[in-house]
Amino acid sequence: MKERAWSDFELYVITASTHHPGRELVDVMEQTLIGGAGMLQLRNKTGSREDVLREAAALRKLTRAYNVPFIVNDYVDIAIQVEADGVHIGQDDIPFEEARRLLGPDKLIGVSTHSLEQALKAERDGADYIGVGPVYPTNTKPGKAAVTTAYVTEAAAQIHIPFVAIGGITLDNADSVLEAGARRLCAVSAIVGSEDPAAVCRSFLNKIGQYSGYAPQSVTIMLNGEQRNTSARNLEELVRELGQSHKRMVAELDGVIVSRGMWRNTVIQPRADIELIQFVGGG
Amino acid sequence: MKASYETAALRLGGKELRSRFFLGTGRFPSPAVMQLALDASGAEVITFAVRRVDLESYEDDSILQHLGERGLTYLPNTSGASTAEEAVRIARLARAAGLGNWIKIEISGSPVTLLPDPIETLKATDILANEGFVVLPYTSDDPILCKRLEEAGAAAVMPGASPIGTGLGLLNPYYLGLIMEGAKVPVIIDAGIGSPKDAAEAMELGAAAILANTPIAKAKDPVKMAQAFAMAIEAGRLASEAGRVPKKRYASASSDPAGSLFLQPASVSHGGEGY
Repeated sequence: MKERAWSDFELYVITASTHHPGRELVDVMEQTLIGGAGMLQLRNKTGSREDVLREAAALRKLTRAYNVPFIVNDYVDIAIQVEADGVHIGQDDIPFEEARRLLGPDKLIGVSTHSLEQALKAERDGADYIGVGPVYPTNTKPGKAAVTTAYVTEAAAQIHIPFVAIGGITLDNADSVLEAGARRLCAVSAIVGSEDPAAVCRSFLNKIGQYSGYAPQSVTIMLNGEQRNTSARNLEELVRELGQSHKRMVAELDGVIVSRGMWRNTVIQPRADIELIQFVGGG
Repeated sequence: MKASYETAALRLGGKELRSRFFLGTGRFPSPAVMQLALDASGAEVITFAVRRVDLESYEDDSILQHLGERGLTYLPNTSGASTAEEAVRIARLARAAGLGNWIKIEISGSPVTLLPDPIETLKATDILANEGFVVLPYTSDDPILCKRLEEAGAAAVMPGASPIGTGLGLLNPYYLGLIMEGAKVPVIIDAGIGSPKDAAEAMELGAAAILANTPIAKAKDPVKMAQAFAMAIEAGRLASEAGRVPKKRYASASSDPAGSLFLQPASVSHGGEGY
C-alpha cells in the first residue's frame, strides 16, 4: 500500500459466503473491489483452519492486484502466514497487546467496539482503526443489541483514529449513519448478498462522497447567556476554540456541572445552554 | 510584661474559628497585595464572588489561583442574584465546584443602596439550609427578620452596619444590639464598616465576627489596614468578654475621695478629679 494511505478507505467490505450461495468467494469479492471497496476483511467463523487459510491466500492475491488492504478476522497466525495487512479482533478475541506482539508494529489492527468506553480503550491501546456498531440490528451477528447512531455521533466527536460504522447498514439507512458523523462505512450482506456487488459498492461510495468534505456541522448554543455558533464537538474543544483552556473555571451544561475530566466526553448538542464560570474577588 | 488573653473561639458551621475577621477579596489593587493583606488579617474565612468567565480576555482572573494551601474556609457569595432562585443556583454551582458548603446569601433589592431583598433572602435561606448548606445571609438590620432567618435555618445572621461600600459605620447600633440580644446564632456584622473603630464598636456591642472588604482593599495601605482591623476586632471581642461599665449621666471619681488632703465634708459627693 505504498501509493496511498491505507486510512483513505471509505468503504470496508467483509466476506460472508452464506450470503452468496452458488457463487465463488473470490468472484464476489472481486466485484466489490471493482466497485471501489477500499478495505477487505475475511471473516469466516465457521470454516476449518484449512478453509480459512485457503481463502486468505486467495484474497491476499486478489487484494494485492487491486492495491487494497487485506485484513483477516481473528486468525493472527493466518494473517502472518499470508502476509495480510492486518487483523481485526473483537472484544472477546485475542487481547490487543498479544496481537500487537505477534504482528509487530507495522501491521494494522482493528478492534470491534460497542460503546464509547471500548472505543476509547482501543484508541489508547494503539488500535489502527475501530469498528463502531452494530449500528442497526443485523443478521450477520444475530442477538447483538444495536448501538444506534447515537454511538456513531459519540465516536465522531471523540475518537481520533479512523472508525468504521458497521452493522445492518444498507443503502436505505446509510444517510442516517453518515449524518450521525460516520465517514467510513462497512456493509456485509447488503453488498455481498446483492446480485451486483460492484453496483452496490458504487452506490455506497456515492453516498459517502456526498458527505466527504462536509464540514462538521456548526451548532447554535447559548454560551454565558449569549447566542453563539460553534463547530466544537465537545466541551473541551469549545473551551479550546475560545482560547480559554488555561483558565480555572467551572462548566455548567443545561444546569448541570460538568467536571473538567469529562469535558472531552461531553458532546455539544444544538441549543445547549453552557455557562463557563469562575470565582473572582468579592465581599 | 504584657499579659496575653485568648478570646473564645467562634463555632460556626461545624468549625472552630480563632479569627473573628472574615475578609472579602474584592477590589484589592493586585492579587499580591490581597495575599499580603490576607496574611496580615489572620482571617480564616474569605469571601468571593461567582462570575462568568470573561471570554474576551486571556488573563485568568480566578481568585483561587492566589489562595494556595492556606486551609481557609471559603464563603462564596451570591452577589449578582436578585431572586432566591438565582442565589440558589449560584450556591449549588459553588458547592459542586468543590469549594465546600458555606454560602453567603446576598440578594440585592436595589442597585442604588444594594440593600438585601428580605423576602428573597428568607426564601433562599430556607431552601439552601434544607439542602445542607451552611447559610450565612446578608440581611438588613431588622430584628424580626433576623429571627425569621434563624428559624429558617441560617447558621449565622449577617446584618449590615450600613450599605455596602459606604463606610458609614454602625447607623443603627440600637437595632443591631436588639438582634444580638435575641439571636441564638452568631451575629456577624457585614457591610458598611468604614474603619477599625467601627469594627471594634460592633464587636463590643456583641457581634460574633466582622466581614469587611472595601475598607481594607481600598485603604492607602491595605496590608497595614488588615492588621489594624484584626487588632480592633480582637480588642472589641476582648472588651465584650470583659464587660464594659454602664454609661452614666454624671462624672464619678476614679480615685477614692476618702483621705483626701483637702477634704471638705460638705462637698465630698461632687468630687470628680483624676479619671
